[in-house]
Amino acid sequence: MLPLVWPHTILVADGRTDCSTQMMDISLCLKRPSWLVDSKRVRMTSHFQWLLLTAVLLYLTNQVNSQKKSTPHDLKCVTNNLQMWDCSWRAPSGAGRGASYEVCIENRSRSCYQLEKNSKIPPLLPGDYEITVNPLYEFGSSKSKFILNEKNVSLIPETPEILNLSADFSTSTLHLKWDDKGSVFPHYSNVIWEIKVLRKKNMEIVKLVTYSTTLNGKDTVHHWNWTSDMPLECAIHYVGIRCYIDDPQFSGHKEWSDWSLLKNISLPPDSQTMVFPQDKVILAGSDLTVCCVTQEKVLSAQIGSTHCPLIHLDGENVAIKIRNISASASSGTNVVFSVEDNIFGTVVFAGYPPDIPQKLNCETYDLKEIICTWNPGRPTSLAGPRSTSYTLFESFSGKYVRFNRDEVSANENYQLFFQILSNQEVYNFTLNAQNLLGQTESTLLVNITEKVHPRIPTSLKVKDINSTAVTLSWHLPGNFTKIKLLCQIEINKTNSEHELRNVTMRGVESSNYLTTVDKLNPYTIYTFRIRCSTDPFWKWSKWSNEKQCLTTEAIPSKGPDIWREWSSDGKNLIIYWKPLPINEANGKILSYNVSYSSDEETKSLSEIPDTQHKAELQLDKNDYIISVVAKNSAGSSPPSKIASMEIPSDDLKIEQALGMGNRILLTWNYDPNMTCDYVIKWCNSSQSGPCLMDWKKIPSNSTETVIESDQFRPGVRYNFSVYGCRNQGYQLLHSIIGYVEELAPAIAPNFTVEDTSADSILVKWEEIPVEELRGFLRGYLFYFEKGERDTSKIMGLESGRFDTKVKNITDISQKTLRIADLQGKTSYHLVLRAYTGGGMGPERSMFVVTKENSEGLIIAILIPVAVAVIIGVVTSILCYRKREWIKETFYPDIPNPENCKALQFQKSVCEGNSALKTLEMNPCTPNNVEVLETRSVAPKIEDTEIISPVAERPEDRSDAEPENHVVVSYCPPVIEEELANPGAEGGGGSQVIYIDIQSMYQPQAKPEGELDSDPVGGAGYKPQMHLPITSTVDDLDADDDLDKTAGYRPQANVNTWNLVSPDSPRSTDSNSEIVSFGSPCSINSRQFLIPPKDEDSPKSSGGGWSFTNFFQSKPND
Amino acid sequence: MKVLAAGVVPLLLVLHWKPGAGSPLPINPVNATCNTHHPCPSNLMSQIRSQLAQLNGTANALFILYYTAQGEPFPNNLDKLCGPNVTDFPPFQPNGTEKVRLVELYRIVAYLGTALGNITRDQKTLNPTAHSLHSKLNATADTLRGLLSNVLCRLCSKYHVAHVDVAYGPDTSGKDVFQKKKLGCQLLGKYKQVMAVLAQAF
Repeated sequence: MLPLVWPHTILVADGRTDCSTQMMDISLCLKRPSWLVDSKRVRMTSHFQWLLLTAVLLYLTNQVNSQKKSTPHDLKCVTNNLQMWDCSWRAPSGAGRGASYEVCIENRSRSCYQLEKNSKIPPLLPGDYEITVNPLYEFGSSKSKFILNEKNVSLIPETPEILNLSADFSTSTLHLKWDDKGSVFPHYSNVIWEIKVLRKKNMEIVKLVTYSTTLNGKDTVHHWNWTSDMPLECAIHYVGIRCYIDDPQFSGHKEWSDWSLLKNISLPPDSQTMVFPQDKVILAGSDLTVCCVTQEKVLSAQIGSTHCPLIHLDGENVAIKIRNISASASSGTNVVFSVEDNIFGTVVFAGYPPDIPQKLNCETYDLKEIICTWNPGRPTSLAGPRSTSYTLFESFSGKYVRFNRDEVSANENYQLFFQILSNQEVYNFTLNAQNLLGQTESTLLVNITEKVHPRIPTSLKVKDINSTAVTLSWHLPGNFTKIKLLCQIEINKTNSEHELRNVTMRGVESSNYLTTVDKLNPYTIYTFRIRCSTDPFWKWSKWSNEKQCLTTEAIPSKGPDIWREWSSDGKNLIIYWKPLPINEANGKILSYNVSYSSDEETKSLSEIPDTQHKAELQLDKNDYIISVVAKNSAGSSPPSKIASMEIPSDDLKIEQALGMGNRILLTWNYDPNMTCDYVIKWCNSSQSGPCLMDWKKIPSNSTETVIESDQFRPGVRYNFSVYGCRNQGYQLLHSIIGYVEELAPAIAPNFTVEDTSADSILVKWEEIPVEELRGFLRGYLFYFEKGERDTSKIMGLESGRFDTKVKNITDISQKTLRIADLQGKTSYHLVLRAYTGGGMGPERSMFVVTKENSEGLIIAILIPVAVAVIIGVVTSILCYRKREWIKETFYPDIPNPENCKALQFQKSVCEGNSALKTLEMNPCTPNNVEVLETRSVAPKIEDTEIISPVAERPEDRSDAEPENHVVVSYCPPVIEEELANPGAEGGGGSQVIYIDIQSMYQPQAKPEGELDSDPVGGAGYKPQMHLPITSTVDDLDADDDLDKTAGYRPQANVNTWNLVSPDSPRSTDSNSEIVSFGSPCSINSRQFLIPPKDEDSPKSSGGGWSFTNFFQSKPND
Repeated sequence: MKVLAAGVVPLLLVLHWKPGAGSPLPINPVNATCNTHHPCPSNLMSQIRSQLAQLNGTANALFILYYTAQGEPFPNNLDKLCGPNVTDFPPFQPNGTEKVRLVELYRIVAYLGTALGNITRDQKTLNPTAHSLHSKLNATADTLRGLLSNVLCRLCSKYHVAHVDVAYGPDTSGKDVFQKKKLGCQLLGKYKQVMAVLAQAF
């Protein structure tokens, strides 16, 4: 607290200054020696110095106080209400308790008061006042003087007192109430209150706020509310308050009052565990603290399935902080605390305040009650008792209705009913939506007479007036007497579009309304229904129930559509007519009357019942006019007439037409002669004789029409006949056949083979019946290929197959086909199918075998026979001409060994030519004699080795060459007549014709002509040149031989001889390789003797000597 | 006593349509007058067994539907939140005589009937859109009413017992929502448990 009396302050200041000076001196005196000691000693000395200094200070203070104690001192003045100053001073020492003082205040005047030590003095006006305090009855005390000014007075308000502290636990709100005690203040002052809220037993400050009020000279109770973020049940809460009075007229010090006594809010101790807050409704997205007040240890806490950290409060109490909570489901969000064996919890309902009601609409059904509907907008996520309540307030009348949704109702219709007030048409509605989180509203100004939405008309009735008019009556509930009604009647007729008719009428009090509906058709079933609105239009009511009505009958408006056909015998005329359509019959047709008239007479048939629509008339050759009349209960129709006369037709051409779907377009040329109309009649062409499916009448100026009928079927041929009317007679103008749609033929054409030859087939087929053709025939496809019935399978006869031939026959009149260039005695697969514009028909197949080709066979036989004959003849001729050679070759005369002229040969032959060397025959001994005698038992081959002079002396031969170019190496044959070259004798040279049996075995026979071509080569004896056979060794030998002059070396090819003489019996001593035929002497002695067949011969070859060998013989060799 | 107005009274009015109904009644002497407002069918025990079997067969589904509708963490803390810890639940001795068993059955069914009425009321407020749960609760309550009527018929016709002391389930009207949920779950857990025993006992 500041010293309020400045003289005293001065006094004290003076004394302090002196004391300070002394203390400084002492301090300095004490300090000096310290510079002379070491640091440790310095510290100890320093402590001592401070101790000493303190003692001196206390002494001096005591001295001063003892001096002051002799007089009143320390005057202080404070005020708490500005009406009185509380001044106090310290009494002089020795003054007893209850000592009195005379206090004199001197300014312009002097006023003294006899007071005690602490006394109140009236407030002084601004300025300095000398205050003299003189103790009374105190001896030894002297009076004191003070200068007092308002500025030295402190304004300290009284400590406020809390009147009441209460809590609203449901909202966690504290309510504080206190009295400002303003009555004690003389004038208005501003007051600042400071309130603090402390929580838990350790008094944590959770809130410190200031609150300003005004003192108005009266005691005023103030309230302050505070909502805790934590439920108040969770922990004890304390509240304290102090104030600060800001009086502008007071110039002294202003200070806060002391804090009031703390007041607290806490739940009474309860052993039951509880979780707070309970059933709290909060705004989604906000934060929330939930606590558990318990005596047990809480293990965990969770919101929904999410665990939260625990915040420990007093004792075992815990709390959790939930931030940004999500909107709850209808059953709320569970917050639970788990203890060891139990779970405690609470339910939090997080949602939203109500949305502004949307699409607020108010209308009336009957002008008796207004129904207002709206859309609640965004869901609040709050249900049941926490859902939104609505209040509809009408401002003109001040009336309202409230909408409290049934707790258990899930009805989603948001609507309120407001009773219409008499004489009020304009209503100003305000719809207020409210829940625990807030409220919104929506307004609507409406003239209810313009918002009439009538209810559904009821009790609709229909009553006949005549065949074309009825009366409708209905009931429309509502008070519409002041407005007009606009009603709409829907008229539905069978197989017709509905018709709408509007009627306007004034509302009636009875709510029963009546109107007439005319322009209806007779004998027609109508269905009526009605709906209403008001004028001005707002909304139609719902349609009433339908009411059906059959109008009464009227006479038929037209006669029936008629046609006539002559019977097939041309004697009777058949009259056809069509039933009248319902809109023309105007009632149920009971019967028809048919009459016919000529110039001479008129006749009628008896009434024809309704079910019959034709009549047959026996007419003579006169022309008649036939008349048909339809009758119903209301009367007869106008007659329909047609003439019996038929004008002959000119040459008619049958045309073709194609339709589409169930319709077909027919055209014809314009004929100005046709004055009446055209009639198209048609029938199914498959029906024989006159037929009539239907007919159609066309105006005379038309040249085309579309015939449409549900009876038309695809693939069915129809005949259309176009008749023209002229002078009341009909003439057939055109005949058309047509299909609405072509289909492929249903069957394949039947075909047969008319004729078959070795290279052609004639096929003939039949026409397909019209009903099976199912379209205009475009042609046939004929396939054929080789194939047997059982083996040939023509898989899809496409023309692309290389072995299938196709003929497309587009000439539909063609009924035969000849297939040429076939092979004889061959099976063919024939397939025929027809096609139309609708596609290919099925196929029919047949297998046909062509006939055999006999001429070829004959030729094939004759040619080989002729060839064989020619060959035989030629062979015979050749054999004949070569018979000698053959004989010599195969059947030579066997010489008689006794007649051997070997010696003669030497004489006779060699004598004449001295140049020639004679052959020494002495050593010439036949080395081999083969005796071929059939009678002999077995041929005996005797090999006798001879030494050939040539073989032994080959050098002799080389020596002989210069002497004579003719080498006589062999003895001439015995038969000299066989010499082919007689010139040889004349030329001085001689050539010995040597016929060697071995040449027959030459494998390479040369033709006869070649002998002449090689005369030089043939000179001399060179049989070796023709001997090479297959042996490789022999080939080499033969090559060697080629380099030499041809000579006689028969020994070289003995093997060959053995090999190629299959029939020659080999010597048992076959290994003798030097067996030679070369001996000139042996030519006569060595001949084949045809032995008897010796099957035991080991070397006899099965092939034997063959006919081939016969031709291979070389007679000149 | 809102529960009397909402849940118990309608049930008692149906079952005990006579002055004084609704208050605990002692078992009448054997020769007391037994008045039933409708003739008792001949196959009473068969019907009782059938009804018990039906209730037992649907008890688990009802239990699951209930705790699922309460939201988390009910489905995952059934032992602590839905354990059959129901105080003052009428006892049942399966080995007693038929009369004793029927009397005990009557008490149990009456207890369950009122408790189920409270649950139904609470859930219609708390879960107004849970129509399936409401439907099952209503169906169960209907069957319980029929069973109670049959048991009374049996007691009355065979044992001449017209009135039985009954105790009612806990009143949940003044409790907070979590307590309502928890009590309802515990009661349905107990209901499931006791129905299994009852279906076996008869």
